[in-house]
Amino acid sequence: MKWTLLDAYGLNDVLVALSKGREVYAQEGHAKGRSRLSKSTNWQTGFHTLGTCRPTEPLKSLFFPAREFVGRWNDSAAREPMPERIVFGVKNCDLSSLAIHDFVFLEGVAKDPYYAEARAKTLLVSTDCSDQLDVCFCTAVGEQPWAEKGFDINIAGTVEGCVIEDGSARGAKALQEVEHMLEPADDELLAELAQQRIERMEELVDQCNRHGLRPGTDLKAAFEGAFQSELWAEFSENCVECGACNFICCTCHCFLLADGVDRDGAPARSKLWDACLYSGFARTAGGGTPRPFRAERFRNRFDKKFSYFPEILGKYGCDGCGRCTEACIAKIDIRDVLRRAINDSTALHADTGND
Amino acid sequence: MTQPLYMPIPATIEQITDETPDIKTFTIRPEVPVTFKAGQFVELALPGVGEAPFTPSSSPKISENMEITIMRTGRVTDRLHRMGEGDEVGIRGPMGRAYPIEQFHGREILIVGGGCGVGPLRSLLLDLVDELDRYARVIVRYGAKTPDSIVFKDAQTHGWDQGGALDVMLTVDQDDDSWDGHVGMITSILTEDYLDCHADDGVAVMCGPPVMMKYGTGMLLQRGYRPENIWLSMERNMSCGIGQCGHCRLGRYYICRDGPVFSYDEIANNPRLWDD
Repeated sequence: MKWTLLDAYGLNDVLVALSKGREVYAQEGHAKGRSRLSKSTNWQTGFHTLGTCRPTEPLKSLFFPAREFVGRWNDSAAREPMPERIVFGVKNCDLSSLAIHDFVFLEGVAKDPYYAEARAKTLLVSTDCSDQLDVCFCTAVGEQPWAEKGFDINIAGTVEGCVIEDGSARGAKALQEVEHMLEPADDELLAELAQQRIERMEELVDQCNRHGLRPGTDLKAAFEGAFQSELWAEFSENCVECGACNFICCTCHCFLLADGVDRDGAPARSKLWDACLYSGFARTAGGGTPRPFRAERFRNRFDKKFSYFPEILGKYGCDGCGRCTEACIAKIDIRDVLRRAINDSTALHADTGND
Repeated sequence: MTQPLYMPIPATIEQITDETPDIKTFTIRPEVPVTFKAGQFVELALPGVGEAPFTPSSSPKISENMEITIMRTGRVTDRLHRMGEGDEVGIRGPMGRAYPIEQFHGREILIVGGGCGVGPLRSLLLDLVDELDRYARVIVRYGAKTPDSIVFKDAQTHGWDQGGALDVMLTVDQDDDSWDGHVGMITSILTEDYLDCHADDGVAVMCGPPVMMKYGTGMLLQRGYRPENIWLSMERNMSCGIGQCGHCRLGRYYICRDGPVFSYDEIANNPRLWDD
């Protein structure tokens, strides 16, 4: 169902009402037009925003924290239950990345109960992007700057008013709390939104084109066709293996089970983000590693995102958020790597067979 | 799973047997019996230290305790080798895919082991020997670096290699005065001179260090074994053991979830298959 606001109410009224009884995550302004994801007890008008683009922190950190206590040795005491939460202003790149984490942590051999609890207790309120960062390239990986699925509630602002849509049963239920502020959106408003989305998309497509990335290019074929290319060695030459691209990535899900001791000295275990760029990532006890060279580790990151996940899940393990480009101190731009892979790919430029 | 995910079942080291100067067999008794199939692995955890993946070397028919044969080679195994009987450890598992033993029924099975890799193979062998008449023939070819580094030395005296249904041969890379057996790499006893086999429909199962697996597989293919009938125990840095943490990915597979046992045709096209 698509709603809009009654004249008597402002969007803030809806946001304040939705945040009631829930821990709030929303964007707060930050230097250079970037914004941060901030945690609060309620929606703070004037401080919080829905954001024009995605924040610096990846959404995954709310479900798969950088460091998560897993348990104490020989102690099956249950962890404190998580509070109900609401995240405002989720952008499509982040939302789409949850499909990867859901697949890994919910749909495999065993379900991660902490991840499941975090997902179950978090209401996701997405909003359309109203701007783009220099590093954004979601249209090159089959995404678009607005959410089409995976959200509980989507809020899209237009000059004529906002369109509020439920995307799940619990989203619809939450909207019942504010139903008195809403009326069904009319066709004119929806047409305005559709037009606005087309324009937003065109700007992003233009930005991607300037980097040589066109919508619909088969990046799986590009990666696989460029597997033997020199590009991996060339691009990774300046890589310092800091792992920032892994950590900041909205889809990277690898982790380490780390054993240590709790404050009282009792053995305990934590789950920490890990990075496949690290030379020790795949190393076995005997010292062997399937990827001894940095170029291979660098390539492996693209392998996982542009070959493994498309094959296993039918989806790239990259949503075009551009965080890796922003975070890289060697200034490696993922778009340049992809463009070079497209250029070097033997699969995409296969001989027609008339030899 | 009664135990919280990622946390081990408490267990005790019941017995420690020295196999070689750097390999010991640990008998582990978990608080709750752990039932596994030959080829599956467990994560053995040391409180506050870490954990590492191992395939048990004992019979899968026993679940009250399990034996794990471990070489001292890294941080966790070094600590483990300094532990004693009665010490507390933890077990997570079993994990992964076992040997498809039903597919082996009625066929000739060649077991090729190298060094400590004979641990998992012992578990399989104990399973096979239990019902030896189900199989056309079971052949074992085992290679160690020196006579001193042969694991399960007493196994030779069990009489398994008598009676024809079981054909066992050992080799060492380098001999000493105590050794009157064959000297040479494992591949040297996979030749026609020392291995009379029905490669076309036989099953080969191999476990050992990567370099041995690499040349061993080449030899088996040369002898006529089909890629789909060569079963390899692959090893990577399996950490979570349930296909989540990402460390052990091999192409489209996670070794912990889809392996650790693979047929050669499933994995042959991966670059750097053998970590060499």
